[in-house]
Amino acid sequence: MINCLLIKISHSTRGVLSRNYRTLTSEEISLGRGAECTIHLLDPRLAMHHAVIKRLDDGQLYLVAINGELAVDGVVQQHIELSHGKLISIGPYQLKVEPAPPDVDIAVSLLLLQRLPDDFQDLKLRTHEPLRGASSFKRRIALWMAAFIALVFIALPLAQNLIPSLNKTMAQLPLGFDRVWSPGHVSNAHLHFGSQCFNCHEKLTQQVKDQACVKCHQNTAAHIADPALQKRVFNSSGRLSDGMRCAECHREHKAPHPLAKQDNNNCVNCHADIKAVDAKSTLADVKDFDRSHPEFKLSFIREHHDQLGKTSLERIPQTNKTRLVEHSGLKFPHSQHVGLVQGPNGVMDIRELSCSNCHQGEGKEMRIQPIDFKRDCQLCHANQLQLGLGKQSFSVPHGDEETVMNALKVKAPKDQARYANSLKENGCAYCHEIQASHKDSSAPWRVKKVRISQDWFSKAQFNHASHRTQKCVACHQVEQSESSADVAMPDRKTCLRCHSGNSPKPKRIASSCMSCHAFHNAHLAQPK
Amino acid sequence: MQHSNIFDYKKYRYFKLAVVMILLAFAAFLVFEPAVGHYGGSWLGYTLGTISAALVFWMAWYGIRKRRYRSSGTTQAWLSAHIYLGTALTFIATFHSGFNYGLNIHTVTYGLLLIVVVSGFFGNYAYMIYPRLMTENMGEDNLDGLLLRIAESDKMARQIALVMPDDINNTVMRACRETSIGIGLLEQLRGFQPDCPTAMAVEELTMLGQDLPADQRKLYRDLYSIMVRRESLVKRARQDLMYRARMGFWLYFHVPFAIALLMAMIAHVLAVFFYW
Repeated sequence: MINCLLIKISHSTRGVLSRNYRTLTSEEISLGRGAECTIHLLDPRLAMHHAVIKRLDDGQLYLVAINGELAVDGVVQQHIELSHGKLISIGPYQLKVEPAPPDVDIAVSLLLLQRLPDDFQDLKLRTHEPLRGASSFKRRIALWMAAFIALVFIALPLAQNLIPSLNKTMAQLPLGFDRVWSPGHVSNAHLHFGSQCFNCHEKLTQQVKDQACVKCHQNTAAHIADPALQKRVFNSSGRLSDGMRCAECHREHKAPHPLAKQDNNNCVNCHADIKAVDAKSTLADVKDFDRSHPEFKLSFIREHHDQLGKTSLERIPQTNKTRLVEHSGLKFPHSQHVGLVQGPNGVMDIRELSCSNCHQGEGKEMRIQPIDFKRDCQLCHANQLQLGLGKQSFSVPHGDEETVMNALKVKAPKDQARYANSLKENGCAYCHEIQASHKDSSAPWRVKKVRISQDWFSKAQFNHASHRTQKCVACHQVEQSESSADVAMPDRKTCLRCHSGNSPKPKRIASSCMSCHAFHNAHLAQPK
Repeated sequence: MQHSNIFDYKKYRYFKLAVVMILLAFAAFLVFEPAVGHYGGSWLGYTLGTISAALVFWMAWYGIRKRRYRSSGTTQAWLSAHIYLGTALTFIATFHSGFNYGLNIHTVTYGLLLIVVVSGFFGNYAYMIYPRLMTENMGEDNLDGLLLRIAESDKMARQIALVMPDDINNTVMRACRETSIGIGLLEQLRGFQPDCPTAMAVEELTMLGQDLPADQRKLYRDLYSIMVRRESLVKRARQDLMYRARMGFWLYFHVPFAIALLMAMIAHVLAVFFYW
């Protein structure tokens, strides 16, 4: 039997400690939440049968844990000897071994150290307000982001511009701080230096000046071959500045668009009212290929009668049909050279000819090569150079009349005059116009110099390659042409069947000025 | 009859204004195309950019305006205009950009604008949807009322659990002591807690109640129903917190990014005029 004095210490409502004494006598003194326990403590933090005070084999009194935990100085233990002054934690309670009066075996005091917290307050502590500290968080984030942006996008690029030594250091690197200011892709040609802004933007707040361009483009010629026109177009274009900057037409940071402005506005600015720019100009006003463009002029090679051999270009409007006469010096009916034609070797020799048998394109743009006797004519017209009959027949070379006469002198010295006459009547004259010889010439007659117009539209560029899907005769109507004086160049209406002006039309492609014209023959002028 | 709200304020006055602005800007965008394509530096680009910048400042002014009681116009009108003109601003700024984007301050500015607008749209959505859901969830209660009822059920549950076996008592105890509501931003935003002690306790109780002596059966049933009620109360409290958190969370983006946008816009304009 154990005689135990239990001292229950409790706080009164005023906070004064009160002690409640009770003596318990039992074989074992059990302690727990259960009603059957000797020391019945109603606290959910205790086990039903938490611990028991009993005498172990060594005859001493021990506190032994059953279903609950016991701890001394925070160390959990299974058995604890109840020696004088020992402090044991049993859940929220503290058990202390008090000095025992003589009539009991042991005296223990129980004190509730941790009261059960108030449920509501406790739960409130574990319930957080939505988005606690949101406004200070937002303020901090906002300030940090704004500061970061100000640093990276304003302060650093500015510093690079304002501090020369920093600029020098950054120039060694592939990128400068001011790269973040770039408004768009730099064109391919300028990429290799384009990531360092100062290469072109020499001074802050100043537009890019021509001297920045000229650093590399030293040999660029004047854009207009005529110096007076160059001055008029570029230096007094009615703008506030004293001259046009390169960058006004050559817009960088717009890749993949071409660096040079291609829009019609640039051209139309002056050409819509060309007299306003140059009162003496003979050009017609142009606004749009479809609605406002003069009829084409064809360039003819004209011989000067007073100056031997001298030629010049004469441009005749296509509307002036009576003057559209080609003086090529050849007798060439196109009609007899298209389709099935009689070959040189008798009645059975029928050949089929097409345009490309004689007119051959060359290069990327398929520019038509000049007609060449050896390549284009000889295959069928070798007979015309043959003289004599049977075994005595021979041929003379194709060349000027001096060469032919010299050949006659060698091959038929006796019949030179007869053969020369034969050539004048039939041989050379079969294709060429024959003229009276010059005074100082030894030949009895001469062949008129062949001048076939090669560049009919001398102020425009025509790309045969980009029209290769069309048949030749769609634009050049030569099948009925009986004479080499006929001109078979297409007129503006022919172009307008497929092309329109600045804006596309149904089934007609938009065609700007630059589609056909180069800019004032740029690059033809001599470098300064 | 439903009261007019910020969306149909004065018969959609600002909605109509926004539509007209967008259409005008789009028409101008279609008609005036520079030869090198659209870009911010064409005359149309500068015009649209200036309008956008003015709108951004005006939008930002709303943040100051709504905190003032004495100023012109009702806050409802201002908010309605803020929403619709902010939407129009997005279109105008996009036309201003000409769809040219790159790694530069200009695109950063545009991106910040998009973040601000999209977060604003989420704010619209939140204010359209959540107030009704909150009322449905809470009824006449408020959060403190719910917490009080949870605390009450705690007390009752513990009272019963005192005479129940240890494992049941411990389970109830843990549920009461460890259940938290909306600890941490993530919990608040998703509105539920995957390992909620109360839900776990209800689950455990189902298992633990199987072999109880007959005299404790009735008590157990009472305890179980209390815990189930507690679980639903906790869920509702969490939902309430979630709605309130979601209604405020978009401002975490809307406000700081708006400030960042203002700074970026200044940098964007400076950059254009520093390097012509």
